[in-house]
Amino acid sequence: MQYWINHNGVQTGPVELDAIKEMKLTSKAYVWHEGLSEWVNITQVPELQGVYVVETEQAEAVTGQPYQPVQQPASQPVQPVGQQPMQPEVAEPCPPTNLVWAIITTLLCCLPAGIVAIIYALKVQNKYREGDIEGAKRASEVGAWWCIASIILGILSWPLVSMIQMSAMSS
Amino acid sequence: MRRSLIITVVVFLLLVLGFVYFAVDPASSDVFPRCTFLTLTGYKCPGCGSQRAIHALLNGDVAGAFRYNAMLLVAIPWIALCLFAESRRTRDPRLYARLNAPLLIWLFLVMVLLWWLLRNIFNW
Repeated sequence: MQYWINHNGVQTGPVELDAIKEMKLTSKAYVWHEGLSEWVNITQVPELQGVYVVETEQAEAVTGQPYQPVQQPASQPVQPVGQQPMQPEVAEPCPPTNLVWAIITTLLCCLPAGIVAIIYALKVQNKYREGDIEGAKRASEVGAWWCIASIILGILSWPLVSMIQMSAMSS
Repeated sequence: MRRSLIITVVVFLLLVLGFVYFAVDPASSDVFPRCTFLTLTGYKCPGCGSQRAIHALLNGDVAGAFRYNAMLLVAIPWIALCLFAESRRTRDPRLYARLNAPLLIWLFLVMVLLWWLLRNIFNW
C-alpha cells in the first residue's frame, strides 16, 4: 500500500511502508492512504505504530510535568499556511480500462467487438484525465460489457458457423 | 471464498483447453470453430489463426505461430504483463496506470487496425 505523509506542513508521497520508517517522523505527522476518507494522525494508523517519535512525552520528561496521555489530534488536521486543502493528487483512482480483456477478446474471439472495447478503454482514460470520474466509470462499465458480449457472441456463433460450413460443403 | 472458487474453475478450464490445443491440431479437425467474421464476410479478422498459432506455440513451434497469427505472438508478453498489473491494481496502481496510458492504448488500436487491413491485402 502507498501512503501520503504531511509532516510539519511538508507533504510527501506516495511512499511505501519501508520508506516511512526511515523518514524520522514525529507524532505530529498526518497520514492518508487509499480507503481513508480524510487525513488521520499517524498515532491512529495501526501499521505505523513505532515508526514515529512521540514529541509531547519527551517534552514532559524534561520539564517534569505529570504524565498525560498523548494529545488526541483534532479531527481535522491543521491546514499548513499558504497551501491548498490537503488532498492527495490521486484521491480517486482511475476506474478499470479493461484494456487487457479488450486485447484478449480482439485476438481470440473472432468478432471485432473487442475493438469497440479498446476504444472504450481510451474513453475511460480521456474522461478520467478531464476530471469526469462518473463518465470514466460509465465508459469502464460499457467497455466491460463489450468484452463480455464479444466472448458470448464468439461462443454462440460456434454452432451457427459450423452449420454454414457444413451446408457450404454439402452443396 | 467465491472469488477463489471462480479462479479455480477458470484455471482448471484453461488447463483443459491448453491440453486440447496442445494435443489436437485445429487445422486438421472440423470440431474447432472457424472464425465467424471470416465465414460471414470472407475477410480475415485480427484474431484469425489464433487457434492454430496457440497449437503451434504449445508444441514449441514459434515460427509456425508467427505465420498463423503474428499479432498474437507479439501481444502475448504484453497481455501477460497487463494481467500481472491487473492482479495488483490496488496494491500497485502506478504500474497499472503506466500500462493503461492513453498512448499505449492508441498504439495498440492502430496496430490492430493496421494488422487487420494488411493481413487481408497480403494474405498473412
